[in-house]
Amino acid sequence: MTITIRVNGAEQSVDAPEDTPLLWVLRDWMGLKGTKFGCGIGQCGACTVHIDGSAQRSCITPVARVAGGEVSVTTIEGLAGEDSLHPVQEAWLEHNVPQCGYCQSGQIMSAAALLDQEANPDDERISEFMAGNLCRCGTYPRIHAAIRSVADGSAS
Amino acid sequence: MSEISRRELFRLGAAGSGALVLGMVLPGCATAPGEREPTRVGAWAPNAWLEIDPDGGVAFTLDRVEMGQGTVTGITTLVAEELDVAPQNIEVVFAPVGDAYINPQYGLQVTGGSSSVRTSWERVREAGARVRAVLLASAAEVWQEPVASLTTGDGHVLHPDGTQRIAYKDLLALAARQSMPEQVTLRRPEDFRYIGKHNRRLDALAKVTGQARFGIDVELEGMRYAVVARPPAIGARLVAFDDSRARGLPGVIDVLAIERGVAVVAESYWQAMKARGELSIEWDESDAVKVTQNSVFRQYRQAADDSAGDTERSEGDAAGVLENADEVLEAEYEAPFLAHATMEPQNATAMVTDRGLEVWAPTQGPDLARIAAARTSGYSPGEIRVHTTFLGGGFGRRLTQEYVEEVAEIASHRKEPIKLVWSREDDIRHDVFRPAMLHRFRGALADGRVTAWDHQITGPLIFDWFARNAAAAQYPWAPRMFYNTLASVGRMTEDTFLTPKDHSAIEGAVDVPYAVPDLWVRHTHSDAGVPVSYWRSVGHSHNGFAVETFMDELAHRAGEDPVAFRLRHLEDSPRHRAVLERAAEAAGWGGSLPEGRARGVALHRSFGTFVAQVVEASIEDGAIRVHRVTCAADCGRMVNPDIVRMQMEGGILFGLTAALYGEVDWDENGRLQQSNFHDYTLMRHDETPELSIILVENGEDPQGVGEPGTPPAIPALGNALFALTGERQRRTPFQAGSADA
Repeated sequence: MTITIRVNGAEQSVDAPEDTPLLWVLRDWMGLKGTKFGCGIGQCGACTVHIDGSAQRSCITPVARVAGGEVSVTTIEGLAGEDSLHPVQEAWLEHNVPQCGYCQSGQIMSAAALLDQEANPDDERISEFMAGNLCRCGTYPRIHAAIRSVADGSAS
Repeated sequence: MSEISRRELFRLGAAGSGALVLGMVLPGCATAPGEREPTRVGAWAPNAWLEIDPDGGVAFTLDRVEMGQGTVTGITTLVAEELDVAPQNIEVVFAPVGDAYINPQYGLQVTGGSSSVRTSWERVREAGARVRAVLLASAAEVWQEPVASLTTGDGHVLHPDGTQRIAYKDLLALAARQSMPEQVTLRRPEDFRYIGKHNRRLDALAKVTGQARFGIDVELEGMRYAVVARPPAIGARLVAFDDSRARGLPGVIDVLAIERGVAVVAESYWQAMKARGELSIEWDESDAVKVTQNSVFRQYRQAADDSAGDTERSEGDAAGVLENADEVLEAEYEAPFLAHATMEPQNATAMVTDRGLEVWAPTQGPDLARIAAARTSGYSPGEIRVHTTFLGGGFGRRLTQEYVEEVAEIASHRKEPIKLVWSREDDIRHDVFRPAMLHRFRGALADGRVTAWDHQITGPLIFDWFARNAAAAQYPWAPRMFYNTLASVGRMTEDTFLTPKDHSAIEGAVDVPYAVPDLWVRHTHSDAGVPVSYWRSVGHSHNGFAVETFMDELAHRAGEDPVAFRLRHLEDSPRHRAVLERAAEAAGWGGSLPEGRARGVALHRSFGTFVAQVVEASIEDGAIRVHRVTCAADCGRMVNPDIVRMQMEGGILFGLTAALYGEVDWDENGRLQQSNFHDYTLMRHDETPELSIILVENGEDPQGVGEPGTPPAIPALGNALFALTGERQRRTPFQAGSADA
């Protein structure tokens, strides 16, 4: 069936079964490959996108839930403007965070949502919020430092 | 299966260095890399690695895959240094299958064994230096100046007058007529501009913007999606299936039997997965492997009782000394089967074309992938092109190529582009595991020193499983009907002049660094029929745990401090001593700690690199909590120091994950009980300890960094838990036990 969704600021129509997880619609119908498949059950966070600004796992979000164009979906491709980086992406570069990089879209989307909601989360809050995003390469200490630097920067 | 006769039959040499053995040696196979056809119009491709185009673009063909360990940055830094072009101005291209790209350590085009920088250190720098020499000679012709008076700077040759310069791109026509120098002088370390200094990862921008393309992101015109229903137990065979319900579902295109199961092809992954759930399949499980971790260790114990095994290192008379010693300590350790759990599940894409089969795969061995595709597709290796992508983690998992076998078979039947995706459940249940291993030790003590050491390792050899595609990859012209024969011959001739020795069971044990006069290390071969493979740090992952835990037990029995006790046995091992002393000092070893915390230490050398770690842990609400890890590492010269640091950080967390959670197990029907991250647990952000990494700087040759951080983390945590509770951790994953501190 034809479903209208608003992704990265633009309304688009896709012909997809309505129970299809948003993840696959983004990746395979819309060609937005930055959002990753890791587990399919909301356990790893690789598929994290923003739905009306809040971090959500797109692998367990049926596309029907964001249909109609009222709900706004943002992916890693739409996090910053054209040819610019979001402060979280800048901090990721500054701290040399990515290794294999597969989980990092999800990590960045989670971090950006956290910092959007709370300008200066403390270490415990960062750890708790980011616990839903797995990284097998072990980049957590750098992710933490990168988030910390953005939080401290905005607080000062 | 005959457990040891084969090994006894074919045993020839003594143990060499502790290296990961991947394949058979084929003398004279690799051709000298020479000039090749450029990929761009008007470009000059002077060797297998470099291509300079008339617009000034420099393309570097990277022959070691990028799976997070940093080859894109590291190997490019090497060529940048000698070519004298800034690393960020070089475009990196992933290598196709080619003789020039074979990893000299293994005779296969594989990325593994923490070998990428070590094996590229001279080869890639020389490739860059030769091209720079030709460009210099060309500029000398233009200016009629002696070559020795010219220098270079970021893509230009500089005139001795200090003002004139010529860009490399403007020298291409002249350079193409020059002959390559046989001998080149490499830049002196004191003149390095990028090596040891360049830290920013060249792949970071693509990875923070979602633009990096992994295997799972490959998109082809008209592409279909495939998933495979695989046997529910190891070794079960397909008898029959009913696909009537599946075929009736929307988007389903085909259902077909393949060698490894039943494939469903659909318009989308989601539709393929739903259809797979509607298949009704009959499996013959009469030959299925039905084991559990406990049954495997029972088998190993029996094997260890029945056979002393092959002697892998023997000095003095350990058995005799142990028999007559006053103080003997015995201990047994178990390391279980482990899944790799790369964040990117296994996948591959393939398409039949006029000229053969094109394959896109996130693989650690493109030449192995080519054989895997040939095995099931009907195309010969010469008709198959393998394109390698970014890898969403490797850790050894992508040295095995079943996903390529599957996609090649499906694509060759369907004659349309196919992307095969494994679900996470497929990935965990059908992994090729880190082998479970049993370790038995006896140690004799006298006057605070270890006087005899007997270490018996029991478990399989990884090469027995790896030979499947590795053997044939050495003979790509061999007809497909011989692949299995080649694999058998490879297995039969392991540790002869035909096939190098497989050190996977004994590395990290035969090279135990402690000075013990009477020492015996042996391996009893026992294979439970569970597919096994390389897993980050391979044999070191279990031998490091066993050796360093036993050393800690001996220190405790001797009533000695664990650091001082180790140092006493390392008089002639200065680099071991140095990292141990630095880690202990930085961790405040012996100093006070908050109530309820304790420290543990471990020291282990792997892939050439010396690593010591001190772990600080506690038990809170019945759960093990790791607070801090202090790590000192000596990997010789560092190409990108911050990437070395990243690899130590990641290696430690990988080890701690195994120590805290790592285990897969089967039920009585041979069904793997773990399936996804809710029951195959990885360490998370909120459990991450504070990491303090000390990098020892020296001018020794560069050594491996991808794996050496992992082995010591496991015993250092176990030893900390012993210090905390008095209960020894002899099996991973560790248990908090009842001893709440």
